[in-house]
Amino acid sequence: MLPPLPSAGTPLSRRTFLAAAGGSLAAFSLAACSPAGAQPTITFHQSKPEAVPYFRDLTAKFTASQDRFRVLHDMATNLSASFVRSSPPDLGCLNYNLEMARFMERGALSDLADLPEAASIRGDVLDLTNWYPTYPGRTSVIPYSVMAASVIYNRRIFEANGLSVPTTWDELIDVCERLKAVGITPIYGTFRDPWTIAQGLFDYTVGGMVDVRGFYQSMHGAGEKVGPDSEVSFQKTLLEPVRRMVQLKKYVNADAASRGYGDGNTAMAQGQAAMYFQGPWAFGEIEKAGTDVDLGTFPLPVTDNPADLKVRVNIDLSLWVPEVSNGQQGARAFIQYLMQPEIQDTYNAKFLGFGTVKDAPPVTDPRIVEMQKYYDEGRFYMGASQFIPNTIPAANYIQSIIGGADAEGTLRRMDADWARLAFRA
Amino acid sequence: MSTATRTIPAKPSATGKRRPLGGQERTNWPATAVLIVCTLGVLVPLYVTVSMAFKTTGQAVDGNAFSLPSPLTFDSFVQAWTLTNFSRGFAISVFVSVIAVVGEIVVSALAAYAIVRNWDRKLFRWSFFYLLAAMFIPFPVVALPQIQLTGLVGLDNPLGVAILHIVFALAFNTMLFTAFLRSIPLELEESMRMDGAGTWQVFWRLIFPLLGPMSATVGIFAFIASWNDFMMPSLIISDPEMQTIPVLQKIFQTQFSNSYNVAFASYLMAMAPAIVVYLFTQRWVMSGLTQGAVK
Repeated sequence: MLPPLPSAGTPLSRRTFLAAAGGSLAAFSLAACSPAGAQPTITFHQSKPEAVPYFRDLTAKFTASQDRFRVLHDMATNLSASFVRSSPPDLGCLNYNLEMARFMERGALSDLADLPEAASIRGDVLDLTNWYPTYPGRTSVIPYSVMAASVIYNRRIFEANGLSVPTTWDELIDVCERLKAVGITPIYGTFRDPWTIAQGLFDYTVGGMVDVRGFYQSMHGAGEKVGPDSEVSFQKTLLEPVRRMVQLKKYVNADAASRGYGDGNTAMAQGQAAMYFQGPWAFGEIEKAGTDVDLGTFPLPVTDNPADLKVRVNIDLSLWVPEVSNGQQGARAFIQYLMQPEIQDTYNAKFLGFGTVKDAPPVTDPRIVEMQKYYDEGRFYMGASQFIPNTIPAANYIQSIIGGADAEGTLRRMDADWARLAFRA
Repeated sequence: MSTATRTIPAKPSATGKRRPLGGQERTNWPATAVLIVCTLGVLVPLYVTVSMAFKTTGQAVDGNAFSLPSPLTFDSFVQAWTLTNFSRGFAISVFVSVIAVVGEIVVSALAAYAIVRNWDRKLFRWSFFYLLAAMFIPFPVVALPQIQLTGLVGLDNPLGVAILHIVFALAFNTMLFTAFLRSIPLELEESMRMDGAGTWQVFWRLIFPLLGPMSATVGIFAFIASWNDFMMPSLIISDPEMQTIPVLQKIFQTQFSNSYNVAFASYLMAMAPAIVVYLFTQRWVMSGLTQGAVK
């Protein structure tokens, strides 16, 4: 079976080995030299997997359309490492979150305020970046696409059972009870993945009841004093929403504890449950199953007042240029290219995002069209779970509450963690 | 090498002779049953990997991981190939692995030879302990300074990763070679020196060939470690066009999306060289695992 290996073959094979190594070394150094043309290369970091082919195509088009810059699509760079090395990508196009805000807070991102495109962004959308720590006097990021998330529901199940979309908490409970009575799982829970609880049930119930931005501003103000006696705290301010979250647990599938995100998408595609607490990113996954399920979205009612209805948003893609980048000019040129309406709007329509500019066209996809009203009226919040530093395992705490742990005690622990972190800082 | 060729064939023939006699050695059924169950631990995931790679996207997410692919499709391989620019990533991975394997064998063998033959000198003895101490420093601990250092000296590329592999494995490999070298009689070397060979010649003509089995062990470990490594290339290589396969494959699994079929097709392609290498070197792997176990 094996080729005969002559015992005298060692020196020979070693020589071929070394030759091969030398050969590939030469090939490598040649390859390293060849792309060094006259145009400076702009590294464009974008790693949202489903959008990779789209942006790769755009970079190729842009590079071909002018002869000043070559844009290189990058999905593999480790951001933290590249900033440590002072060679970050020239242009980032990423989810804007607390981790990214660190770079902004420390002034690692350059000011883009002088770009005309920065002025075209909706005020309340641009303001979303200020929910996180900022670097004073700079427009460090330009929101490119906003994702709005709310309860995903199966229209056919709702229609078949004569249910309408609930607008108050009592209506919601009523819908759940009636679905349960006819043997349909009201809500599909995927509690094996902690983040699905944090970004779904937790964010929706908290966001529907509490002013998230004000809450965290006060929490930062109180810092190490956060505790049972402080004005705001997890244990006091969030207790009521968390109790309501636990109440909804009654209506999830029996095997929710052992189901993950992928299972949830499959189940929704097969119409196994009426509601699903996930963002629009799940639609792409549900779509993969190729069923003709008819889904829509509605903001979770947590109070008895329909005027309190809000949707959860996040800046799914934001553009930024690092201060130390030596390809700032090219990066800015590419930003202007990306911000052209026909390119930005096409992206948002294709990937279920909401436009960020003042005159962005409304979304048309039937699955998210119900959220347009809330987005236009500025009735949105960012997820409460997104403002807790990763040092505090909030998603796991929330998972344990869903798993049966005492809500008050667990929230008290989160307060203690918050205060400790503030003390250390 | 010569020791390997002499000892290896002896073993299978010994067991081969014992089997036909039969009856004398009773089959240990409980142990066999346990081992059969253990093999399932490898075979079942492997089956899912292979069958998943040939499924359509729709079938991959239908919740039946164990179903056979129908219809059979090669689309996932095509997608994985273009999405990761597989051929380039593959070439870079091969480049890193080849340098790491050759470098680890040669550098560690040289170090071990120098240390063993100069054991009576303090400098060499202490340098051995110094090298061994490095075994207690894993890469993640020094990752940040390494990122800065490699950036400063222009080694933030695949070559830098290969060099770091050589350096980080130096401690363990030198220990393996040292243990093995001690079993080679000094007289062999003395007779060669009598014939007028210098140190260099002694090493390349005599010692290095004798180290063959141990070199194979080191090489196999070096190959597996460098081929599968994710963290080091991900942190060290700055040019996204020079990234290795494991890092490029990261894109298939994120928090919000899973492309099982494309991911598994890509993993299969990445696994292929490791399996091919194993097929051709398995007798060295088997013999290598016990090398140095007994001094």
